[in-house]
Amino acid sequence: MSTYISKRLIYMAVILLAASLLIFCLYALTPGDFISGNIKLTPERKAELREIYGLNKPVLERYALWMKNAFQGDFGYSLAQQKPVLSLFNDYIWNSFLLAAASTFLTWFIAVIVGVVSAYKQYSWFDTLVLVIVFAAMSLPSFFIGLFLIKIVAVDLKWLPPGGMITTGSNATGWAYVKEVIHHMTLPVIVMTILGVGSLTRYFRTNMIDVIKQDYIRTARAKGLKESKVLFSHALRNALLPAITLVGFELPALFGGSLIIEKIFNWPGIGQLYMSSFSLRDYPLLMGFTMLIAILTVIGTLISDLLYHIADPRVRLH
Amino acid sequence: MAFIERTLTEAGKPVRKARKPSLWSQAFRRLLKNKLAVSGLVVVVFMFVICFLGPVFSPYADNKINMAAMNRAPSLQHWLGTDRLGRDVLTRVLQAGRISLTVGLASMVLSVFLGTFLGAVAGYYRGIVDQVIMRIADLLLTIPGLPLLFIFGALLSDWKVPTDYRMYIVMLMLSLVNWPGLARMVRGQMLSLREREFMQAAVVLGLRDRRKLIHHLIPNLVPLIIVMATLNIGGAILSESVLSFFGLGVMPPTPTWGNMIDAANNMIDFQQHPWLWIPPGVSIFATVIAINIFGDGLRDVLDPKMKR
Amino acid sequence: MKKNGITVLTALILISSLVLSACGNGNTNGAAQNGGEKTAPTESNQPAVENAGNAPADAGGLITASDLSKLPNVAKERTDTIIVGLTDPSGAFTPYFHQSGYDGNVSSLLYTPLVTVDDKGLPIAGLAESWEISEDQLTYTFHLRKDLKFSDGSPLTADDVAFTWTLLHDKAYDGDGQLPTLQIEGGEAYKEGKADSISGITVVDPLTITAKLKKPNATALVILGGDILSKAYYGKDYKFGQLDYIKKLHEKPVGNGPYVLEKFIPGQEVRYVANENYYVGKPKTEHFIYKTSEGDVWQYLETGEVDYASFSATTENIDKLKSMGFVNILPYTPSTYGYLQLNLEHDQLKEKEVRQALTYGLDRQSIYVDANQGAGQVANVPSSPISWAYTEEGINAYEYDPKKANQLLDEAGWAKGSDGIREKDGKKLSIHFLGSKNAQTDIFIAVAKENFDAIGVDFQPEIFADFNALVSKVEGGDYDIASFSTPMLTDPSDGVLQFVDGEIKGYDNPKVKELYEKALSSSDIEQRKAVYKELFQLLNDELPVIFTSYKKTVYAYNGRIQNLSVSPFNGLSSSLPNWTLE
Repeated sequence: MSTYISKRLIYMAVILLAASLLIFCLYALTPGDFISGNIKLTPERKAELREIYGLNKPVLERYALWMKNAFQGDFGYSLAQQKPVLSLFNDYIWNSFLLAAASTFLTWFIAVIVGVVSAYKQYSWFDTLVLVIVFAAMSLPSFFIGLFLIKIVAVDLKWLPPGGMITTGSNATGWAYVKEVIHHMTLPVIVMTILGVGSLTRYFRTNMIDVIKQDYIRTARAKGLKESKVLFSHALRNALLPAITLVGFELPALFGGSLIIEKIFNWPGIGQLYMSSFSLRDYPLLMGFTMLIAILTVIGTLISDLLYHIADPRVRLH
Repeated sequence: MAFIERTLTEAGKPVRKARKPSLWSQAFRRLLKNKLAVSGLVVVVFMFVICFLGPVFSPYADNKINMAAMNRAPSLQHWLGTDRLGRDVLTRVLQAGRISLTVGLASMVLSVFLGTFLGAVAGYYRGIVDQVIMRIADLLLTIPGLPLLFIFGALLSDWKVPTDYRMYIVMLMLSLVNWPGLARMVRGQMLSLREREFMQAAVVLGLRDRRKLIHHLIPNLVPLIIVMATLNIGGAILSESVLSFFGLGVMPPTPTWGNMIDAANNMIDFQQHPWLWIPPGVSIFATVIAINIFGDGLRDVLDPKMKR
Repeated sequence: MKKNGITVLTALILISSLVLSACGNGNTNGAAQNGGEKTAPTESNQPAVENAGNAPADAGGLITASDLSKLPNVAKERTDTIIVGLTDPSGAFTPYFHQSGYDGNVSSLLYTPLVTVDDKGLPIAGLAESWEISEDQLTYTFHLRKDLKFSDGSPLTADDVAFTWTLLHDKAYDGDGQLPTLQIEGGEAYKEGKADSISGITVVDPLTITAKLKKPNATALVILGGDILSKAYYGKDYKFGQLDYIKKLHEKPVGNGPYVLEKFIPGQEVRYVANENYYVGKPKTEHFIYKTSEGDVWQYLETGEVDYASFSATTENIDKLKSMGFVNILPYTPSTYGYLQLNLEHDQLKEKEVRQALTYGLDRQSIYVDANQGAGQVANVPSSPISWAYTEEGINAYEYDPKKANQLLDEAGWAKGSDGIREKDGKKLSIHFLGSKNAQTDIFIAVAKENFDAIGVDFQPEIFADFNALVSKVEGGDYDIASFSTPMLTDPSDGVLQFVDGEIKGYDNPKVKELYEKALSSSDIEQRKAVYKELFQLLNDELPVIFTSYKKTVYAYNGRIQNLSVSPFNGLSSSLPNWTLE
């Protein structure tokens, strides 16, 4: 196990190094740069600014410089926001994490229960209803689900605020602040859950249907165990196994921000920041963020491989 | 019908080669007995027929703009109203279906095929093959999609690829970088299947790789693959509108379901012109749900564990 | 599950499409994000071009709220705070140093310039009480008001002005301030590190400062008369060639404008409190907040979360705003113009007649006015209709006339081939169009395809996902037509600059250059007006670009706010100190 992990860690380092070069080149190759979008500049001034930012240097030289600084823990300043990249992450990532964590928890919770019930009652009216709802949510762009809820819940009924994270101008602290944030995050979390829960539900349902048909379930029933015990302790455990690989993949998603939702609900998250930085070609910020996600992705895959082994010891690591 | 056959041959190609045809006809007969699955199939076929034939009978098939009739609500003249350039929404929804259905299915099949193939190979052979495939997958997972699409857009534009073909090339390119997610799942399933009792029996019996893979392992993967594939179909249809956005998809004024919905993504159209987004939304919904119901039925029929 | 390839990518792109389309809709040029200009706050990106209708919107004056009792409670409860939406302020609030126009909006309330402009774009006094321009138009003398103070209470003197002007000449200065382009005497030497100070800048006494230019420039007054940074605060750590220290001060600005920054919450709010030391007295409303709100702002206005928002002036938007009852509606025309850039290096577009034919053959009325429900106006000169230099005298309107277009093309020797496409010397008349993705471009392509078809021109549209990508393609030269809009134009010369500075490649008309210089060399408005009229007539005939449209917007604001006006050049900043809540 420990040799496996150390081997994987070495691979990880190599992959990240390769990824960083690849990603850096991708951003550099993306048409347009930080200067070209500013139509107020004369061609001479543009050349001057490219010199100041070092954008006229060859890509590899720029990469080497970036890498050197990164190893020293310096990810540079965002060109557009004029702040250190890391402090920007600190400003935005936790807001995204809050939404993602809440909705991921809800998504898994609901998906497991609904998935199990609809598998158990396959082809019942409940199962069909779930099917219809799941696919309705998948057929419309999430934009529409967001707009719909804002229109009904926020504008017409005025139950919840239409967006933002706190009431504008509020000076609430402590418990009052927490309540305010919960109030504001309810709608976006609901939408994110609706969006995510569908496919996960279908996935659990499929696994569960597989498991229910297995011999050991029949055995358990034959032993006279209560149906709920059969379902939730025997069947569910086995149905969850394949899903464990998914846990590792959630890691980058937790910190990556949800771009659509953040935009519709005006949530001050990293997803929005990434998008606006991309359209400006704010290289230091893009590079820093993408590498952060890359690191989390690689760690996530390692975690899911390890979890898979723990959940199903028959699967050998090598 | 055409696309169904394609789905089967793509997803189940190896299966078909090895199994005796009688098994297939058996499966087909079982499928026919599943009323829900058949109705799903009927709806899909219906969507295809109406989208490909429907516009022929429309008086607005030329898709001409008509400023005098913009943003009309549904009426006898325009059954589903008109859009902001006075074009007939019904005709456009049908014309859009041609592209959206083809593109959605094609991209889904391509990605699923690639992901399954690589995942199964990695999970089965393990060792160095697995290492190489999975490390490439790891690398690809770290690559951000956004700059990639911009670069594709710029390249195709510089190479002067006609705008009509760009979408297909991009779909191909995208599935080349998009297989890791599915491949990992398939591999995981494969690793666990390998260790099951029936496979140990197969090893003891001294079966050949090919036979083990094709007869015993892949059939067990089919349910997973079908679920993944059918779940993705909605996203795949919508993804076309995404590509148009990058200048990589269909050029306006040619309609697709995705870009018709996208055109109405603001509060005013959302509230005041529901006929702009409900028809394409319902079309995608109907297609997606029908394909999924059919996929469910298909899975039940093909799943070796469900036979007896 | 959602980690599966297609889904992830789809989600990612879908999202980005939303974000980008929003950016695209408001500004075809993306200048608001990247330009250092002061954009009008919260261009509501969404509704702009997405709606259509028949009757053009009423361009008249203010429509007052019909029923203030409909005002949501949230808004009613605010007594000393006004909230305005702003797309995306990022925290770099130092004038001249911000990279985003939204930060410019924020700093425009923190700083008041020496010289500002009125609603016509003519200079009026700000922190400078008066100024003189020498006979030869080279020496500018500014007289500061007495007892000016920065928000921290320290005095503002001519030394601070000199410091600000000097700082912008630093070689490490990376903003888009125009001051270094004025060619102040000795500026070059300072920038190259050959001098310790700029010889052309002289502090006469604490209230008087002069700048000497090498070349006359009519825009110099407003550019020199910009925002002033405190030398004591921003100059404390200044060393030539080293400006990184300023980044640390961006979020703690020391200004001299009507408001003082109270708190910046990234991605959420910029909170201000009235400046006690403001030179005309403390503003009437104690608190002001810019709320970050991207995309659709309807829901925030409807629920009373913001007091002020801007919308495209479509009939539907206006009707909806009227039905809300509690907002005043103020029509407004931004100081920009839209145009189709033509690639004059391509042979087919070199002839003036062909360019004119394309203009006649393009139904601009349908594309920019009708399809936008009147939220636009066809443009024919490189100036906004609100500018003092705007004229329609002797201007050809190029009304849609396919017959005339066909005739011009026939005369130019482009004959229709067997496939209906015109040819000349074996070359087909084909137009390769580039646009960035937004609803307006979709409309343009749909209509232009039919229009050009009717005059035998082959139309090949191509769409780019964002402004940056579009610009880099245009810079590569592989296009015939590209759709753009100017950034905010303050002086009429701003709108003509692109025809003389080589930006429109392949266009080199000495007469245009001569007139441009002539108009700049005088500060007399009537004299300049006459020159611009001649210049506009010339450009309207030559059509180095096809002029397309002027945008029309409306501002909707809480009916309780009194004394509100919006300057096309300063946005809210000039009237904000007078706003009161009834």
